[in-house]
Amino acid sequence: MKKLLALLLVCVMAISFAACGNTAPATDNNETATAQSDLDYIKEKGTLVVGITDFEPMDYKDDQGNWIGFDADLAKAFAESLGVEIEFAEIEWGNKILELNGKSIDCVWNGMTLTDEVTSSMDCSIPYCNNQQVVVVPAEKAADYQTADSCKELNFAVEEGSAGEDMAKENGFNYTAVKDQATAVMEVASGTSDAAIIDSLMAAAMVGEGTGYESLTYTVGLNSEEYGVGFRKGSELKAMLDKFFEDAKASGQLKEVAEKYGVQAALIK
Amino acid sequence: MLNVIKRNEFEHMQLINRIIEQFPIVFPALNVGFLQTLKLFAITLVGALPLGLIISFGSMTKFKPISLLTKVVVWIVRGSPLMLQLMIIYYLPGLVGKNIWGGGESGRFIAAAIAFIMNYACYFSEIYRGGIQGVPVGQQEAGQVLGLTKTQVFFKVTLLQMVKRIVPPMSNEIITLVKDTSLARIIALQEIIWAGGAFMKSSHGIQGQIWPLFFTGVYYLAFCGILTLLFGYIEKKLSYFE
Repeated sequence: MKKLLALLLVCVMAISFAACGNTAPATDNNETATAQSDLDYIKEKGTLVVGITDFEPMDYKDDQGNWIGFDADLAKAFAESLGVEIEFAEIEWGNKILELNGKSIDCVWNGMTLTDEVTSSMDCSIPYCNNQQVVVVPAEKAADYQTADSCKELNFAVEEGSAGEDMAKENGFNYTAVKDQATAVMEVASGTSDAAIIDSLMAAAMVGEGTGYESLTYTVGLNSEEYGVGFRKGSELKAMLDKFFEDAKASGQLKEVAEKYGVQAALIK
Repeated sequence: MLNVIKRNEFEHMQLINRIIEQFPIVFPALNVGFLQTLKLFAITLVGALPLGLIISFGSMTKFKPISLLTKVVVWIVRGSPLMLQLMIIYYLPGLVGKNIWGGGESGRFIAAAIAFIMNYACYFSEIYRGGIQGVPVGQQEAGQVLGLTKTQVFFKVTLLQMVKRIVPPMSNEIITLVKDTSLARIIALQEIIWAGGAFMKSSHGIQGQIWPLFFTGVYYLAFCGILTLLFGYIEKKLSYFE
């Protein structure tokens, strides 16, 4: 009796396992049919899922819990032009390529720096914003580290796989790669690293007067770089967004939204 | 020297003031995250407690192919990191074919729940097995002598005594589960660590704050404290066999 019961239950288990394994090949057939067109895929499901992180002023929540921001507002306008609904999905930034290729999101639109890693694994739009990587140090030491050369003696913390890490490599700095930019800044605050390299937009929001890190400041700008939007390889949406950006630039819509969120200085003319 | 001490004192006062000021915003946000943590915890228990028993039967059966299969499954699930299992379950279907979860919160939760249930069911199954096999054979023989059927012996003698034996190892595993739920943030499930960590960057209009992340520890401590008391009570209640 017990043996029979066990046999039955294990069979149920085995079947459910097999069912899990089956889903992939079973859907493969109709997938190859739709795989040709990313646009058709998105139109068919009727939503554009935008991968973001909570990143003021690009993507953040208003008091009602709706996503707003420079990127969020433009993404909404773009989805409208496609005639589909928009859905924002908060992601782990390090998993953005996995999220995109795994189709849990349809684009990455979150003040994304166009690094080699990004441009080689996604089809990216034309750049729409300028950005800089800056060095974050304790305010009392800021005077000593105003040039890239003077920073060579410091131990840096940078976000793993970020533009900041590329800069640290390029300048021959000693650095430790950490989980994200916030962790990099925390390293400086706790003294485990001497300095961090992060985005200027984020540095402006995170350190200095009125933030949680009043004892920190940022000094040297290491490079200038650009923000773009990433799509799956081969997606037609890239060309459509490029056109959307051109039109928005011509009509003044881009400037209007930028002024609403105070990022007009960074806008690419 | 005195200056430095004074300045430190001043900074500490500032920090405390800031925490008091931000607490009304941070607290509800952490509660939302903790609710997600609790949901994942509860659904894992509901799924894994019975599934674990089924798997333990599978591994104890004398029919070789099934016990072997079960042991391989248990080996795979226990032998690979839960974080990796989460990523495989959530991302792999979309990478090789069609994304079955969607990008929204509910899809991420279901994927996380499946990974946690599978994982904990396998750990529980070994605890059940230890509990069942630890009941002396004499107990079953006594049951048979009294004229009970094999099924009756199992449910009325073996299972009953097993429950008492497995309480300490189970409580251990369940307390580990409370903290393991934080792994689900790898697929962007917004549990309490995620909610606390969000303030390090910017969330709800607060930027660059570390204290909410550290404060999440209070939730875990409180919840594990309650569980510890609960298990102590259960253990006491079940001591009637002695």
